[in-house]
Amino acid sequence: MPVVAKDFVPVLAATGGSTRVHKAVAPRFRAGDHVLVRTIHPEHHTRLPRYARGKRGIVEQDHGVFVFPDTSAHDQGEKPQHVYSVRFTARELWGPQAPERDTLRLDLWDDYLDLVV
Amino acid sequence: MNGVHDLGGMHGFGPIDPEPNEPVFHHDWERRVFGIMIATFGGGHYNVDQFRHAIERMGPVEYLTGSYYEHWLSSLETLLTERGAITQAELDARREQLSKEAR
Amino acid sequence: MSGHSHTAPPSDPELRIKALESLLVEKKLIDPDAVDAIIETYETKIGSRNGAKVVARAWVDPEYKARLLADGTKAIAELGFTGVQGEDMVVVENTDEVHNVVVCTLCSCYPWPTLGLPPVWYKAAPYRARVVSDPRGVLLEFGTRLSDDVEVRVWDSNAELRYLVLPQRPAGTQSWTEEQLANLVSRDSMIGTANVQLPAQGAAS
Repeated sequence: MPVVAKDFVPVLAATGGSTRVHKAVAPRFRAGDHVLVRTIHPEHHTRLPRYARGKRGIVEQDHGVFVFPDTSAHDQGEKPQHVYSVRFTARELWGPQAPERDTLRLDLWDDYLDLVV
Repeated sequence: MNGVHDLGGMHGFGPIDPEPNEPVFHHDWERRVFGIMIATFGGGHYNVDQFRHAIERMGPVEYLTGSYYEHWLSSLETLLTERGAITQAELDARREQLSKEAR
Repeated sequence: MSGHSHTAPPSDPELRIKALESLLVEKKLIDPDAVDAIIETYETKIGSRNGAKVVARAWVDPEYKARLLADGTKAIAELGFTGVQGEDMVVVENTDEVHNVVVCTLCSCYPWPTLGLPPVWYKAAPYRARVVSDPRGVLLEFGTRLSDDVEVRVWDSNAELRYLVLPQRPAGTQSWTEEQLANLVSRDSMIGTANVQLPAQGAAS
């Protein structure tokens, strides 16, 4: 294991460690797509919050390809895939009492979503 | 995993109660936890997903009653023993030794 | 999946980190001078004054603002703010129609290079639980009231994108210098729990 040395600290701080993966991976979705968040309840690590599962949203933007945490957390590899900014209405998430105009965005990986046709 | 860390939309946690002009660290041990996390992360002992998942594995009561850097501390103890940097026996022994010295 | 087979840790975090650190140093797995440098960097050198400079630049320079909104990482890097927990930045603009607020419900994700380390309230259960389902109620706790005409847009930073709010420039600042403008910009206005105010209306924090 490398040991971070004092002189390296400014470099480390300024560089960080992006989890973006520079590989050509085909996206499953594009901006404008209507998507349904999968109803999954994995016991492993996931970055899909319970409040969004089974909810419908619209893909706003494709952020590109990133490491997939669900596998990365368990030494099962990067499984790189696209991450999308997905827009949900507050009412879709929280019910008809929520303010009509309000929305929420989550960044969701390919494996968390299905297309609504 | 469906742990208590997945807080979005939960009720009952009370007011946010922000502290005005709070310091970056409230205790010296928090500084050490922070510095050691970045150093061991930078040294490749674990990745960020493993770090977060180790926090999620804390157990609900410990998670909700622990402070933020206690979460980090728990994760470091879990990962550095699980991934072989140190052994649990070594850690237990060192804690025992320090505890005796403190008495 | 949860729980470990080892004994429960002693309750004193000071003792626990001392035990951990001493072992890591003995095994030469960490360099204590590097640990000190890391602490110093994030305690004293990186903070929300960085983000305030980004906001002020965007307010005075429309072309910079356009670049910032198109590619936050690149435009923020123009001012020299890069690195850990800011590798993939998205800047979201408050307008008369849209008010943005950022959270990480699952943990504490926050754009360190522009805002420094997050405050305790951002990382704690009350904010994380409530701002996604009742953002207007949360904003009221911060003294920020929004009309029903405005869309409140919550960004839950559940992936590795990090979000910075570009707050609205207060009226009556047209002649201000970039430095004066930056001094107005509070950390909370870049999270989205507050708007930027002129000192007469209430001190920026």
